[in-house]
Amino acid sequence: MSVRVQPELRSQLIQFGIGDWNACYHCGTCTAQCPLSEEGFLFPRKKIRLMQMGLKDELEASVEPWLCYYCGDCSTSCPRDANPGELMMSLRRYLTSIYDWTGLSKKFYTSELWELGFIIVFAILVVLSFLVLLPSMGYHFTRELTAQGGVQLNAFAPIHVVETFDWCMAAVVASLLISNILRMYYKIIWKYGNMKVSLWVHIREFWLLIFNFAVQPKFNKCDDKRYWLSHWFLMSGYTIMFIVIVVYLPWFQTQKILPIWHPQRLLGYYATFGLLFGLFVAIIGRIQRKDVKFLFSHISDWLFLAMLTLTAITGILIHIFRINGMPLATYISYITHMAVLVPMILIEVPFSKWSHLAYRPFAVYFQQLKRYAVPRESGHP
Amino acid sequence: MKNTEITGMFFYNPEGLYPDPIDYSELIRYSFSFPNIVKAYTYSGFIWNEKNILQKIKENNFERLIIAGLMPGTVKALFSKAMTLAGKDPEKVLLASFNDYCTGMVFNTERLKIVLASIIAGVPYEFTGIPDELPVNNATLVVGGGISGIQAALEIAYSNNMVYLVEKSGTIGGKMATFDKTFPTLDCAACILTPKMVEVNQHPNIRLMSYSEIIEVNGKPGDFNVKVLKKARKVNVKTCIGCGTCAEKCPAQAPSEFDAGTCMRKAIYIPFPQAVPNKYLVDAENCIYLKNGKCKACVKACPVPGCIDLDEQDSVVTINVGNIIIATGYKLFDAGRMTQFGYGRFPNVLNSLEFERLLNASGPTGGNIHFRSQDKKGNWIFNTTTARPEKIAIIHCVGSRDKNFNKYCSRVCCMYSLKFAHLIMEKLPEAEIFEYFIDMRSFGKGYEEFYERIRQEDVSIIRGKTAKVEQHGEKLFLRGEDILKGEILENLVDMVILSAGLEAGEDAGKISEMLNIPTNTDGWFEEAHYNLDPTGTCRGGIFLAGTCQGPKDIPDCVAQGSAAAARVIQSILKGKIRNDQASVSLENVLRKIEELSNVAL
Repeated sequence: MSVRVQPELRSQLIQFGIGDWNACYHCGTCTAQCPLSEEGFLFPRKKIRLMQMGLKDELEASVEPWLCYYCGDCSTSCPRDANPGELMMSLRRYLTSIYDWTGLSKKFYTSELWELGFIIVFAILVVLSFLVLLPSMGYHFTRELTAQGGVQLNAFAPIHVVETFDWCMAAVVASLLISNILRMYYKIIWKYGNMKVSLWVHIREFWLLIFNFAVQPKFNKCDDKRYWLSHWFLMSGYTIMFIVIVVYLPWFQTQKILPIWHPQRLLGYYATFGLLFGLFVAIIGRIQRKDVKFLFSHISDWLFLAMLTLTAITGILIHIFRINGMPLATYISYITHMAVLVPMILIEVPFSKWSHLAYRPFAVYFQQLKRYAVPRESGHP
Repeated sequence: MKNTEITGMFFYNPEGLYPDPIDYSELIRYSFSFPNIVKAYTYSGFIWNEKNILQKIKENNFERLIIAGLMPGTVKALFSKAMTLAGKDPEKVLLASFNDYCTGMVFNTERLKIVLASIIAGVPYEFTGIPDELPVNNATLVVGGGISGIQAALEIAYSNNMVYLVEKSGTIGGKMATFDKTFPTLDCAACILTPKMVEVNQHPNIRLMSYSEIIEVNGKPGDFNVKVLKKARKVNVKTCIGCGTCAEKCPAQAPSEFDAGTCMRKAIYIPFPQAVPNKYLVDAENCIYLKNGKCKACVKACPVPGCIDLDEQDSVVTINVGNIIIATGYKLFDAGRMTQFGYGRFPNVLNSLEFERLLNASGPTGGNIHFRSQDKKGNWIFNTTTARPEKIAIIHCVGSRDKNFNKYCSRVCCMYSLKFAHLIMEKLPEAEIFEYFIDMRSFGKGYEEFYERIRQEDVSIIRGKTAKVEQHGEKLFLRGEDILKGEILENLVDMVILSAGLEAGEDAGKISEMLNIPTNTDGWFEEAHYNLDPTGTCRGGIFLAGTCQGPKDIPDCVAQGSAAAARVIQSILKGKIRNDQASVSLENVLRKIEELSNVAL
């Protein structure tokens, strides 16, 4: 297949936080250093080469950026201060915007105004729907509820309305993510490299996807194991919370306060702990800037952390106020919680940093498919 | 002044680029004292781009621009382009570089005014900033007895002038004497060097002061008073017959400096069999008698009465010389600083000087390659009792071209690594050799051919530096990317050689202060002009030779040694020597400008 050199790639990539890749003189130290770099999937040096040469199609067809978990060893040992780790991070941002067909991802990554603007608009919509939409639909207004005494959460935020909304939101996010993953599949497997992967391989290797989503075994191959643990807590806490609030909301958001040993509360506590622990490590790391991993923070990194922290804190507040029977405080916390949670899920998951929850495991899956790929017989010469 | 073109001054002083000790306001005031200077700008005044500069040119109708500051050449292109766009002569952009002309590290405002005055008048500084001449003493001091120092000393001595050659260690010969072969000709280093060393020792015009250091330099060009510390050798050089009985009896041991620590020597020792002077000396740090007052085994064994005097003290000698040649050489990069390669932790990771000794027929193993092992006292040394390696890896660019260590290229490592590969092939024909390199810099005459030759031999030359060396049992594990093949290369080898780079010598800082000559940020001595005067310094009568000025191979060292000697002989023949650049005064420069301005071109 023909190779197109696209010199304008540089100016496009710069917008995603890429520094000076021309510093690289290709000694190969980074690749040799990286425990995740393996036969057939060499990075970071090879990817930097593609950037330098303006090989945009090749770059977009690579799974390697998603296989990197940014331990930062390559940046530390780089003799040229080329920061290969950060180049890979920026490349992930770029690829996210490439997989996204709406074009919003690019806007969010390259303009703070767009990202913040969207977040604020969604937050306002959520607040308005609580203050205007729900009462107009005939549900009790907050003040009346408060006057009745006791926290009546399911009356304030009617469980079936919230649940329906949750399902709608999940459907929107899922359809966006799935379409993006299909585009990723198209770029990596279908369009590129003149190869064929049998259906059986697709089915046989599917377990890798689930396994990698649940455990991130590749992350644990990095020399520094600390971050695998904190990331796993964050991931598991978030996943549990997400499943519980979308799929099992009627079970989770109950009017009655259940005893402390009830699985509902225990799960909630675990998820909160997981989130807080992961967030603590990431935020402290980004403030201290001791590790190379946290040396460079893009606006999207901070926004993601800030929103997740706010969500966790307001969630905890709801819980505290509720079990202490403080209605008004509970309702206000609930509205704030939703005002952060909704834009976070609608913006971060399909368009921004959080999309890696899908791209990373899929990349491992696609990597495996590529390994078992056979050359297409009727290929181009 | 002859130059009447309307000129704009641009002071290039971007913030944070350099620590800024320059008084720019004073310089601006000074430049306005010239009638043709109509405007002066600083870097913070406006954004320096073609458009803005073009606008300034048009506003003021500049006919000529001067960019003054540190490394002004970096922005010259903008100004030339703006001049072209304005329809003026792009050649009329002049640079007043504050780095050149020996303004050196101290940005003295008076010195900078001299530079400015010359440029503004349009007369090259080289024609105006000429120091006065002083009478010269015919004797010369050469500091350092490596190949550069030896060459310089011999050249001057053969012109029938007196030379003092001061050498820090017990023998002259320097690093070259430790080498086995030289690249690319594969000459035996000792065979070509030792005759020169003996020549130095026997030459009537050379006063060899080995085991000595210079400690103080006073005076001015043409008449330096140098204090030389003669460290107590504790063996009388005149009467010692070099029989070696003392060393046989000596009970104390220490790692041999000459052999880069690959074997042990006694506390009374001769650095190597062909040492010049070929006389023993006592290592005061390890001598048992000097430590606890008992032993004197050497004194008892010595067949020459009174030859060994363990109570001898250091002495200071003052010598009077007209010129000084600095040839203090380099030190090898401490490969242990790159912890990832395990030098100092894994016994069979060697640095290049160690391996050089291992290859050398006069080295610890008689030129056979063996593993490092521990002797009875626990010292890690090489001897012939151990096995021989079958797979050897050579890693290039250790400590060079690396922003974490030294950012410069050390120039010689690629070539000596190739030489190693060849010599290993010679000595262990069955061995597999892997060279891990980034770029192969075979820059000199016959070097590329040498590289081609090694490539024809059975050596795996791999593009891609390894990231780390790990000990896996008896073997050493290397993981690297073979960039040209596009694959990961995992390799178990028996021995790893680190091609460590060159660094400025330990004493460079001290000597720089003593002689008041600047070093650059890497510690190498700063020459008077990068291209046109690489042997001179900004001080009169002080010259540079060899690797103390920057990494160099042997032919370049020899050439520079001869060049420095030529400069010295020039001053001796003329009977006069130029004073320091710093002695040039503004009045003299202005007078010179006046004289030259009246010359009709």
